Amino acid sequence: MRLVSVKAVARKEFYHLMRDLRSLYLAFFIPLLLIFLFGYALSLDVDNVKTVVVDHDKTQLSRDFILKLNASSYFDVIHHLPHTHAVTRYLDQGLATMAITIPPGWTKDINADREAPIQVLLDGSDPNFAGLSRGYITSFVEEYNRDRLLDFLNRKGREEIKPPVDGRIRVWFNEELESRNFILPGIIAIIIMIVGAILTSLVIAREYENGTMETVRSLPIRGGEFLLGKAIPYFFIGLTDVLVAIFMGQVLFGVVMKSNFWLMVLASIIYLSVALSLGLLISVITKSQLVANQLAIIITYLPSLLLSNFVFPIGNMPKVLQIAAYIVPATYFIDILNGLYLRNLGLSHLWPSYLVLVAMFMALSTMTFAMLKREGM
Amino acid sequence: MTTSGPDVIHVEDLEKKFGRFVAVDRISFSVKKGEIFGFLGPNGAGKSTTIRMLCGIIKPTSGHGVVAGHDIFTDAEEIKGSIGYMSQRFSLYEDMTPFENIRFYLGVYSVPLEEWDDRIEWVFEMTRLQDVRHRLARELPPGWRQRLALGCALLHRPEIVFLDEPTSGVDPITRRHFWEFIDHLARAGVTVFVTTHYMDEAHNCERIVMINEGSIVATGSPSKIIGEVFPDRADADLNDVFIRLMARRNE
Repeated sequence: MRLVSVKAVARKEFYHLMRDLRSLYLAFFIPLLLIFLFGYALSLDVDNVKTVVVDHDKTQLSRDFILKLNASSYFDVIHHLPHTHAVTRYLDQGLATMAITIPPGWTKDINADREAPIQVLLDGSDPNFAGLSRGYITSFVEEYNRDRLLDFLNRKGREEIKPPVDGRIRVWFNEELESRNFILPGIIAIIIMIVGAILTSLVIAREYENGTMETVRSLPIRGGEFLLGKAIPYFFIGLTDVLVAIFMGQVLFGVVMKSNFWLMVLASIIYLSVALSLGLLISVITKSQLVANQLAIIITYLPSLLLSNFVFPIGNMPKVLQIAAYIVPATYFIDILNGLYLRNLGLSHLWPSYLVLVAMFMALSTMTFAMLKREGM
Repeated sequence: MTTSGPDVIHVEDLEKKFGRFVAVDRISFSVKKGEIFGFLGPNGAGKSTTIRMLCGIIKPTSGHGVVAGHDIFTDAEEIKGSIGYMSQRFSLYEDMTPFENIRFYLGVYSVPLEEWDDRIEWVFEMTRLQDVRHRLARELPPGWRQRLALGCALLHRPEIVFLDEPTSGVDPITRRHFWEFIDHLARAGVTVFVTTHYMDEAHNCERIVMINEGSIVATGSPSKIIGEVFPDRADADLNDVFIRLMARRNE
């Protein structure tokens, strides 16, 4: 390994990158955009469900029910509508995702110990959202009933009655159940794939397309020096993006890493190396920037997003996809991120994932090296 | 110009097959130090394949070959270090300036750092590109880019330069300047191995080999070859020879 050769290739690659708008955009703008987008806009949490109410009963009790509903942080009563048919418009246009109708005589029914139904309409076009809303409203109604019951019993002069089973729920690892706390670390995995694999998938293909590969072959440079030189600029850009993501996560979004910072850096370096060697391998095989780019998106970016336990839990996937998920490098990196960010674990627990990533890196770089050798380098 | 030096390229029964297709069919020839050696033939005759074997880019299927004292089967890397190669597609990075291109070549040829400044000045003087050293290569006219590519191939002071159709797509005046420069190089002791399909250019070569469908069909100085193919025609030139020899095989 001659450093002067590696340096020459790295410097050349750096010029290419700096003079290619599309690459610059992928290297710096997209990562920032993703952090902002996922940090601010994309949230899997459901709160302030936009609710419209139709109160046909118009009693002290029904008004009290609606006030309680609005006071809860899960619901946001945006309008009181006079008629049931006005509800349709609100749901159709997506202005509200939940509509509650209190029928006339509701209070009377309650006081007469009859069943007192209210109607809850939910917009099911987003099943996940609707499911969570349903859970919230169900427990809201249960709690309301229980409060009324206890209130009633207490007023009758009975001694205070407590419900027999009291589930005391505590959430570990992500106490506030903020989806941001696992989305932001996951974004780091996506960013590394974009910078590491999608960008580098272009770099050898570009040499083939411009005919310069022929010249490179005639130069006394070894495959290893060539690959290392190509990877270096992207390595540093990728690492910078990771540090920016960690920093922004902490400062802007309050996502604090619980475990050791250097373990995070180590994991990022290993995973970045996997991404780089994958990108270079794609590049050597395809020899075309367009094909390389498409292939890189399909085999690196999409699986990292969809099959890595990041968005969809692996346990819920069909068997075939589960197997596929275990060959996706991001699965292991997300596991490490999860452990470092949320569970405060160290190497003693996470080493298997580190090891798998190292093995993947060695396998991929060996393959890239062999492919390049076949090409006469 | 003398051609009595030692052989710097020597090949015997060199053969290259791609699957069942014989690209180069057991050719033998040698090139002497400081010689301008022309390698002529139509497209697809095996010119580029031969050059690529001699430069250590691809391995021959069988035969023997020594380039600059190194075996082409086993010492590809040593060969690459002692030759310069410029291919028909310009070997430059067009989104880089001449200065940056030169520094890249200096690096991969492992030229010692303390010599870089001298070499850089030498190349700029030789190629007369000082004024555009910080312009992007893609903005330069083809003739200038070609000079730069040649300059880059010479940065490490190679014993032999291989020029694969160096003048295709270049205007006649630039071509003439180019050949003057080639002469100059040969006089300085550099062996020049050049392929072309411009027959007027072939006259600049001391010795030529004509190749068709992978086999050598003529060897010698241009005038000797003309005399052999057309013993009774005084007005014949290399073009006539080329057409005659290439047609003969296709019948």
